[in-house]
Amino acid sequence: MKQHLLCTDCESELDVTHLPIPSDLKREWTAVETRRQFLGRSGKVLGWAALASLLGDARLLGQGSTAKNPALSTRNNLGLPNFAPKAKRAIYLFMSGGPPQIDLLDYKPNLASQYNKDIPDSVRGNQQLTGMTAGQSRFPIAPPHWKFNQYGQTGTWVSDLLPYTARMVDDLTIVKSTNTDAINHEPAIMFMNTGNMNPGKPCLGAWLAYGLGSMNDNLPTFVVLQTKTNPKENNQPVSSRLWSSGFLSSEYAGVGLRSGGDPVLYLADPAGVDREVRRKMLDAVEEINRQTLADVGDPETNARIAQYEMAFRMQASVPELTDLSKEPQATWDLYGPDAKVPGTFSYNCLLARRMAERGVRFTQVYKRGWDVHADVVGMLPVLCQETDRASYALVTDLKRRGLLDDTLVVWAGEFGRTVYSQGGLSAENYGRDHHPRCFTTWMVGGGVRPGITYGETDDYSYNIVRDPVHVRNFNATILACLGMDHNKLTYNFQGLDQRLTGPAPAFVVKDLLA
Amino acid sequence: MIAAEKVSVRRAFTSPSSWIRVVGASVLLIALPFVLRLDGRPHADWLQLFGRFHPVLLHIPIGLIVLLPILEIASAKSPALREAADLVLRAALATALPTLTLGYMLAYGAGDTGPAVSRHMAGAIALCIGLMLCMLTRSAWIAHRQPHVYPVFLAITILILVWTSHQGGSITHGSDYLTHYMPPSVRAALGVNIKDTATPDSFYTHHVYPILDAKCVSCHNASSAKAGLRLDTYDHLMRGGHDGAVISAGKPETSMLLARVTLPTDDKHFMPAEGRTPLTTGEISLLRAWIRAGASPTATTIPGVYIATTPSELPPQPVGDYSALVPEILKMQTGQGAKLVPVSSKPSDGLILRTVDIAPAFGDTQLAAFRKFAPYIVEAELGRTAITDAACETLGAFTHLRALHLEDTQITGTSFPKLVALKELTYLNLNSTKTTPQSVAALKNISQLRHLYLFNTPAQPEQTSTRNAP
Repeated sequence: MKQHLLCTDCESELDVTHLPIPSDLKREWTAVETRRQFLGRSGKVLGWAALASLLGDARLLGQGSTAKNPALSTRNNLGLPNFAPKAKRAIYLFMSGGPPQIDLLDYKPNLASQYNKDIPDSVRGNQQLTGMTAGQSRFPIAPPHWKFNQYGQTGTWVSDLLPYTARMVDDLTIVKSTNTDAINHEPAIMFMNTGNMNPGKPCLGAWLAYGLGSMNDNLPTFVVLQTKTNPKENNQPVSSRLWSSGFLSSEYAGVGLRSGGDPVLYLADPAGVDREVRRKMLDAVEEINRQTLADVGDPETNARIAQYEMAFRMQASVPELTDLSKEPQATWDLYGPDAKVPGTFSYNCLLARRMAERGVRFTQVYKRGWDVHADVVGMLPVLCQETDRASYALVTDLKRRGLLDDTLVVWAGEFGRTVYSQGGLSAENYGRDHHPRCFTTWMVGGGVRPGITYGETDDYSYNIVRDPVHVRNFNATILACLGMDHNKLTYNFQGLDQRLTGPAPAFVVKDLLA
Repeated sequence: MIAAEKVSVRRAFTSPSSWIRVVGASVLLIALPFVLRLDGRPHADWLQLFGRFHPVLLHIPIGLIVLLPILEIASAKSPALREAADLVLRAALATALPTLTLGYMLAYGAGDTGPAVSRHMAGAIALCIGLMLCMLTRSAWIAHRQPHVYPVFLAITILILVWTSHQGGSITHGSDYLTHYMPPSVRAALGVNIKDTATPDSFYTHHVYPILDAKCVSCHNASSAKAGLRLDTYDHLMRGGHDGAVISAGKPETSMLLARVTLPTDDKHFMPAEGRTPLTTGEISLLRAWIRAGASPTATTIPGVYIATTPSELPPQPVGDYSALVPEILKMQTGQGAKLVPVSSKPSDGLILRTVDIAPAFGDTQLAAFRKFAPYIVEAELGRTAITDAACETLGAFTHLRALHLEDTQITGTSFPKLVALKELTYLNLNSTKTTPQSVAALKNISQLRHLYLFNTPAQPEQTSTRNAP
């Protein structure tokens, strides 16, 4: 028990160190320096010495994946893969908004005859509706506007909207039974990216950066590329919460490259400052930072030092990364003319390949606009035109360059869309609302089994009838491809060994693995 | 019914009318399978309740019968054992008959049929008759009136016992239980080979049979053909069971086999029954495609079905213990040079040589400095480095290499013959190098090489096929 600083006659304040709680919680309490604590302690100059030593320990709180080979974990690496990985790196093509699986890959031939009939109540069950369709008196079935054909030796059905994806179906691992818990964008996209609907948790990329470390000291371990929005599309916001490192050190957060103009601002040194001067300046700043670290012990200071260093190295590495002048003609033939325009999805895919070559561990490309509540017939061709060829080009480019052997590519949105029309259904057009019970995703490359379609939905693409893949299991499977056991990739925070797949049980979908 | 016989048989051996009783009991036993035919249909559940004690009880008569010749032989020295042998023989018969009864209840109740079941049943009946004959002839043997008849009967009974037990074992464990781990030469000598219409390289053999074998054959095989259906050979599969054919070639929608595996899992006709692992979606679609294509025993491919054949790859070979070198490896990781990074937390997975940070400054001399670590390096990432053809000389010493990245380097391939020493190399990336078609020829001698990339090299001119939109 200790006396409150600012009040000499009030009741003595409860000291956390005397509470009957686990010791690691106490250490964490001392590690998290709130303003109140700071002001409260500032009077006790002598106390700092003791505090600094406490915090020194706290910095070591987060353990990496249990490294059995600790002597050899690299300097940016808290752990090592738990087992020999099939993929060293991953590229995640995130289709924000929720692509309509029924119009793209989940072929339901019987729907054509069900035009404008109501979806049976037995199918819809007790599914929660969004505010956008809850008031609808009818739920009329909207068959896909486009024809489907079988492609490849696997005979996989693909919509006419995806002529390029159709060419690579024999390489893809298509999951028709991905399902999520959330029905609205923000929680669903958080859930898909961080394994939790509430913000504040580290995302997949941050976990990988934390668990596997960097491959190239000159580039960030985790890069985020945003595609320039098309104002015609219904764009839902994406924010840095999605590539946040949460409670992990900020070093592991995704580094966003800008989608227009210079990919990184102020990359070139100002006139009169050469590399030597810049280096000296950074060394001086680092010295000050180290002193602050020794004084205060906030682990975020370490992250700041690392970020200054990274920025310095990126001054040299990013211009080389984004210089596309040496790309052979074959690249432009493959990706198409869009790839020359910075900020397009196609350009980002090309950049993702270049980063894969240069040892970026995880690249997440966001493409917004899939939120087709209305005018599906008008919007989908635009969206597919922007993404179909680029996705195919990325996979093909990785494949011919021998990178697909150890790179995992994931294509996914945050949920699917309903079979019934939102708003008016006409012969020419329809809309589709959010649907969390099933959506189609695909993966390709290191670790996954090529040429399979996993999971099955009912005749309305509404419920999963076979082999569901929950988001948690989807993420556990991605980690498995990269050599991580999702149960071992943990970080102790708030008294819990936190993990990407959450405290709820999750498992690796072995049937998806090669 | 059999219980009644048992009482009458027990006393048969001394009575003058014993011969008649034995003949009567034998007739009853032989008639049993004709009266209560094993038709492959399950009957009342209580039959199985008792029947399932058959595998427990049967050990008692077996033990007693095996003991019998030992006692008889030993009785030559100590006549007291002769009395014991008499008791053992009676006890053997007294337990053999209930065992037979329970066994019959088990088969009749569960609807088991099949050649092995029939043989086991016939053997058991013969065994009981043999025991009764032993009992009849034993008194004459003791009195030295007929010195040969009893020993012959006993020997035959024991042979029947061995054969019957083997048939029973085949029902429980499968007919290949004993031969499964035999060397193929021994198996061939014993004539254990299944002849089938299906050819060894057919789609059926490679893809259909393994599914049936994993999910169906444990109940539908030679030993226990539930519902008269065997799925262990192509011919039996096409022949079907008591309810007719299970495969209609070309018509998956009318094929009963597909119907039964795709029912709701709680349907009582759902297969595999009794909570065994159901077929996966992939397995079902494969069966469906095979049936649709005509259910051929010889076709090697099925239109619309593509099964990625993973080229057989050498499993990763563990590397040796490099703990003595750890300080040096660590020093390298914190320095500015190329790094040696463990593949995983398991040291025997080896090390990766990573140069991406400093690639332009990494040349042949830098590579040569890694020679001492060569036995532990399983992957060398040398893409975009300044190495030249001379590096192949050094790389020849990296005998544990599985993957070698040489893309975007000055390599032309003139020294590729040196790489033949890399016996474990499965991946070689030569994209955007000056590799010529002539030097690629030398790579044919790397036996494990499965993934060779030559994009954008003289050896593989730029592909132009992607120029046209679909």
